[in-house]
Amino acid sequence: MAAPPATDRPSDAELVARWAGEPAPLLPLLHAFHERDGVLTDDAIRRVAAALRIPLAELYGTVTFYHFFEREQPGRARPRVCDGPVCRRRGSAELLAALGHHGAEPMPCAGRCDEPIPVLVGDQQLVGARDGELRDLPTPLPPKLSDDRLPGWRECVFRHIRTEGRAALAGYRATGGYAALFRAIAMAPAEIVDVIAQSGLAGRGGAGFPTGVKWRLVAEAEGGPKSIVCNADEGEPGCFKDRALMDHDPHAVLEGMAIAGRATGAARGIIYLRYEYPHTLRVLEKAIREAERDGLLGERILGSEFSFRIHVRRGAGAYICGEETSLLESLEGRRPWPRNKPPYPVTHGFEGLPTVVNNVETLASVPPILLEGADWYRGLGLGDHAGTKVVSVSGDVQRPGNYEVPIGLPLRTLLQDCAGGALPGRRIVAVTQAGLSGGFLAGADLDVTLDEPALRAKGSFLGAAGLIVFDDSRDMVAVAADGIEFFAHESCGKCFPCRIGTTRLTERLTGSDGPLDLDEWRSEVEDICATMKATSACGLGLAAPLIVESLLRSFPDDVRAHVEGPAIET
Amino acid sequence: MTIDGQKVDFAPGETIYEVARRLDRDVPTLCYDPRLEPFGACRLCVVEIEGQARPVASCTTKATAGMVVRTVTDALEAHRRTLLELVISENRDSGDAFGAGTPAHVDPLRGASSQELSTLAARYRVRPGRHAGAHSGHSRRDDDNPFILRDYDLCISCYRCVRVCDEREGDHAIHVGGRGFESRILTEFEGHLADSSCTFCGQCVQTCPTGALADKKALRAVDLPGELTKTRTICPYCGVGCSVDIVTKGDRMVAVQPAFDGPANEGALCVKGQFAWDHVQHDERLRTPLVRGADGVQRPATWDEALDRAADGFRRAAAEHGAKAVYAIASGRAPHESAYTIQKFIRAGFGTNYIDNCSRA
Repeated sequence: MAAPPATDRPSDAELVARWAGEPAPLLPLLHAFHERDGVLTDDAIRRVAAALRIPLAELYGTVTFYHFFEREQPGRARPRVCDGPVCRRRGSAELLAALGHHGAEPMPCAGRCDEPIPVLVGDQQLVGARDGELRDLPTPLPPKLSDDRLPGWRECVFRHIRTEGRAALAGYRATGGYAALFRAIAMAPAEIVDVIAQSGLAGRGGAGFPTGVKWRLVAEAEGGPKSIVCNADEGEPGCFKDRALMDHDPHAVLEGMAIAGRATGAARGIIYLRYEYPHTLRVLEKAIREAERDGLLGERILGSEFSFRIHVRRGAGAYICGEETSLLESLEGRRPWPRNKPPYPVTHGFEGLPTVVNNVETLASVPPILLEGADWYRGLGLGDHAGTKVVSVSGDVQRPGNYEVPIGLPLRTLLQDCAGGALPGRRIVAVTQAGLSGGFLAGADLDVTLDEPALRAKGSFLGAAGLIVFDDSRDMVAVAADGIEFFAHESCGKCFPCRIGTTRLTERLTGSDGPLDLDEWRSEVEDICATMKATSACGLGLAAPLIVESLLRSFPDDVRAHVEGPAIET
Repeated sequence: MTIDGQKVDFAPGETIYEVARRLDRDVPTLCYDPRLEPFGACRLCVVEIEGQARPVASCTTKATAGMVVRTVTDALEAHRRTLLELVISENRDSGDAFGAGTPAHVDPLRGASSQELSTLAARYRVRPGRHAGAHSGHSRRDDDNPFILRDYDLCISCYRCVRVCDEREGDHAIHVGGRGFESRILTEFEGHLADSSCTFCGQCVQTCPTGALADKKALRAVDLPGELTKTRTICPYCGVGCSVDIVTKGDRMVAVQPAFDGPANEGALCVKGQFAWDHVQHDERLRTPLVRGADGVQRPATWDEALDRAADGFRRAAAEHGAKAVYAIASGRAPHESAYTIQKFIRAGFGTNYIDNCSRA
């Protein structure tokens, strides 16, 4: 009998064998079938359910939670066009229409707001113009600031990122890379934790929890194996800093994770990377291979007793997976609803065991801090504030991009001296904070410093530090409507106030439903916002109302015109 | 700890909600079922804890020493009302079913917990039409199974059905698909229950707080006149001894509902106990004894005639072949009183233990 024809197409059994025994196997196994077939077929879902012993109804439900698992043709080949808040104002609707004959669909903010509109075609990361022309363009490097413009500032995570070849292991080591890991291996774990605690480093993904405290809790927690999870699910609209860090300085993230592992006694690292960054996936996988080859990751690193392996897991399109407990649920193969807290991941994290969940920027800050010392890092901030923050600036400014600035910097300095100020003939009227989650600041509130206490006093917060700038040509009601529509789209559906509230607010801001009387309209909107802020189960529902509240606070005349204006023609 | 000014002890692991309930505090909930893991979805059970900026869900927050909790404040009650108004606003039939904020027209025949939402809506005087907007649920009228109505137009996404199926039944027949406002209850590939691993135990129906999942057999009696009456008894089908309430309307049996306070079942039932009772009032049920004539044909007879005939047969069998020639198997479909009587008949009448019951299988 003739042998079956040789084929590159892996069999079901081969895919299952590749992944079933790995940590956090569900997403990679689904991706493997998705990539092989272009869609997730019923048969594939049945095969995965059987292999991982997940009830079929549960797995099917979980698959439908994510954006990017295609069930119908053209499947993964379907172009996905970013229609985030910045791209909408750059012509994403026209680009979508131009690609319509390829079955193009919109995707939420794809984290490239400093550039033309990002488009995903399979695993190709492209950028497009209004007319439908697509190009391949590397992730922009952070703009270099001239020293005379910004006296006395020093960078932490960006200090070597612009050096040619930094993304490769040789280039990374040539600029001091992995020296911090050598040092960490020579130090007692508790000493490492002390340095990080004294540096004042706090969660740069937005929550701002002191990193040293988190590491200490995990180091002291009972049970194991422990894990270091890097949250690279950069889903907040207007935030694109982690992409730049990983694309141009991937080893800094790996080194930071290994040091965290050494400090806490964890031997396993997982990077949870958002689906929209396939190029970054390749960069990270290459960096891991390089580091393993040179004995910087893997068993008995540099001949010591310390072992540490890093796995990359790719998300499948869900903003909520940036919430750390949703992320953990996603890794564990369940529907990624946020968990009830306490307990927190430091004691009950990945697979119910002690886990550090840190943002990309937080982890990339660790090697320089360990080399230069806690005082050095503390001193990078202004006034009493410790350290730096990478801020993604996009929208109506001359020089959008990622800027690493001292915490406590006046917002106006960032907008003017770094980002170049308003476009010619225009005036900046509003700036969002924390991407969309912090709502926007306008008017006199723009005279604020970029630090949590100052921003919280204005009813906002710094969060992951995405600033989207809007000038006087923009319809701020439409901006707020786009914002709340995004949150409605991304609400996980678990808690009532967020699930229903985001939809009701969207209807009221787009004008598709809601009272026509201004007082009634405001009464409903204010009630919904207040209840969401008080009772929502996770950060999404707690923060989503801020963009609506800031609209009511800063643009009352626009709101009046919106509610009392001419009815929408149908 | 202190709840509403009252000092109270608590057991390790007890949640604030459980302690409050022990004190008869009527904290509202919609996603809570005491048999299930706390879930924290509806947020109605939020309480204020002194020293904490935001209210917390009492169902998912464990009591700790020194905690000072308030279960009723103006702010909490306002949030609860808004939450209920939001939930009511997502039901397609809200205009009719919950009109004027009065108790809803969700027929209690739908299920044991079906009145929870309408009861809370009345208690919080929800304002009809407030927060009006899109509807979230889509009924599966195409699912023509004979037992469970999937009327998701009334669904409020508390996921009690999914959780009882997973945590209590272990059937894993249904789960949640989509997300956000588009979240929906589904079987694998969005098919019918009959094609899934559903065993039609009806547990999802009985925990549903809105009647979105409903007992199709009970709903046949929706137009029957009369009040609903519940009579507590024990399911006769097997040896577990599940407590059930027989629901009657006038002199008609119209439904079986599991008893949540049943010591053996805590609200659980299987498909037989839940749905297999049509024989009780079946048209083809015998109404008189039948006696077989010499020609082999069965004819209606009086009880005296039939009992004499049966007694003759039993006596003859015992006389010719011994008492052990008689062996009785009682039916699980017969009431307990009948089961008792037949075993007495065998043990006292024939002096043997040759008695069994099909429910023992």
